[in-house]
Amino acid sequence: MRLKLSTVLLYFTAIVLTLIIIVPLALLIGLAFSKSQVTIEGFTLDNFNFIRNGILFQENPVYSKLYPNVYTVTVNTMILAFGNMLLVVLISSMAAYVISRYSFRGRSTLLGTFLVIHGVPASVLLIALYFLLRQLNLLNTLAGVILVRMSVDLPLGVWVLKGFYDSIPWDIEIASLVDGTSRLGAFYRVMLPLVTPGIFAVALFSFLSGWGEYIFVYTFIQSQTNWTLSLLIRSLVGEMGGINLALIAALSVFYLIPVIVLYVVGEKYLVRVTIGGVKG
Amino acid sequence: MAFGRRWVRIAVLALMLVPATIVIVLFMLIPAVLTVLISLTNLDYRFIWEWIGLANYQKFITDINTPIFVKNTIIFVTGTLTFNVLVGLFLALVSTHVHDTLGTLMRALWYLPRVMPSVIYAFIMMWIFSPMDTGFLNTILRGLGERPVAWTFHYYWPFLIIVNGFIGCSFGMVIFSSAIKSIPQDYIIAAKVDGASQLTIVRRIILPLIKWQIAFVVAYQTLSLLASFEYILLTLDGGPGYYSTEVMILQAYHLAFGQYLASMRYGYATVFVTILLVIGLILSVVYWKVFRLRELMAEPKME
Repeated sequence: MRLKLSTVLLYFTAIVLTLIIIVPLALLIGLAFSKSQVTIEGFTLDNFNFIRNGILFQENPVYSKLYPNVYTVTVNTMILAFGNMLLVVLISSMAAYVISRYSFRGRSTLLGTFLVIHGVPASVLLIALYFLLRQLNLLNTLAGVILVRMSVDLPLGVWVLKGFYDSIPWDIEIASLVDGTSRLGAFYRVMLPLVTPGIFAVALFSFLSGWGEYIFVYTFIQSQTNWTLSLLIRSLVGEMGGINLALIAALSVFYLIPVIVLYVVGEKYLVRVTIGGVKG
Repeated sequence: MAFGRRWVRIAVLALMLVPATIVIVLFMLIPAVLTVLISLTNLDYRFIWEWIGLANYQKFITDINTPIFVKNTIIFVTGTLTFNVLVGLFLALVSTHVHDTLGTLMRALWYLPRVMPSVIYAFIMMWIFSPMDTGFLNTILRGLGERPVAWTFHYYWPFLIIVNGFIGCSFGMVIFSSAIKSIPQDYIIAAKVDGASQLTIVRRIILPLIKWQIAFVVAYQTLSLLASFEYILLTLDGGPGYYSTEVMILQAYHLAFGQYLASMRYGYATVFVTILLVIGLILSVVYWKVFRLRELMAEPKME
């Protein structure tokens, strides 16, 4: 058994590539537990003091009044993520079923629209969406941000779920229809359980997309009470960017916890969304 | 009876399709039309609709800064696209040729920046490449006795391409990997029996077989890169200096929502957006036709 040089090189490359992408994450964690405020030195838990009561810069009466409570902000982020998830899953699971199982006039137009819209990034519509939300009195509300975020994620959700419905054989559905279930009953009792992996993938994807959202929140939300974690971290970067990196890193780690947990649980589902979203 | 059945069917269809249709019409189609309409007005901080025809477009063509934004957009899109496709391809090739456990781990880790909140990712990248002495790379350089380098001041395009590319390349990686995995092993084994080297196999067998996927990734990412500005906004924000990394979509954002007195110029901002929207729509229709046709033509081979 002779190790070929090319094999050694290949594995070496693979390990280097794996390490490169770990670096940013490792640095963030190192910085979050660092004694120094601007570089990685020593180990301390002090940067996480805000977890006790949600107040940043508790020792500084001036600074602590400048920033909203971390827990208020976290709840807002949760509302955005869950709201987005529920709406995307609910609406796309129904629409995808109809598109997958019924033939009706305008079906291909609808599908084409979904595909073309999915290809055009939402950022180009920001100005018009701002105007629209202003007319609907939804500026500076989380509901407005949820609606916009949801509409952006919806085409992908429909597209992915349609693929999952398509992969389920007709016979299963027909069998249940023969047994006397209605179409709706068949959808609810037979089809939904079968596309659970697809629903899970779309749920995961839309939760994370709401959780990490920055641009829409930054553009549509003014008052601090409606801030999300992304805005809090961003404002700290702007004002404390050169002074207290360790605190920003600690907040970032706090912000990342659900992302990492969900990612470890459902990474393979998320990848399916990427692939499913592009099967043209 | 037949009539009743039909009525129920229509009711079910409507019930399930209406929410999605409302959302798409209200938040996608109407805004798209609205964007074009706003670009024909001089809508600003007063929010008064005043039709001024094509004056905004005339301004766009004659403005001395326009070439800068167009040039930046071209640099950004081509640079990042090249990085995304090449690195994505490289990652896919390496991760499919090592042991599956390592390959899967590698792909999983490279996919992570995609789901990480953008503010965190931008914050770490800014710290790594920070021009200050406390930046990560400069700390290492000083440790080696070298002088610190002002990374983001001097190498702003490479920096932005890396920041965007570390996220963008995972898209190609995922698609190419699944395509490479679906290549029948017989082809590879036959080539090996004939004495082909690994590089020859990659060049003569794997790349030709996944050329459609490569074309697709190029097409798809051109579209999304034309309109992406989030990571530029979060890192260099169009700087350093005079509009050195200000791409068209970022200029539109600054004109509309910037922090300066010159902002809230919605009418002029939507000109940039409309141009991008038209390019985007044309491209996506073309892609759709190309890939759709291919799907129809690609009959499953029975061998």
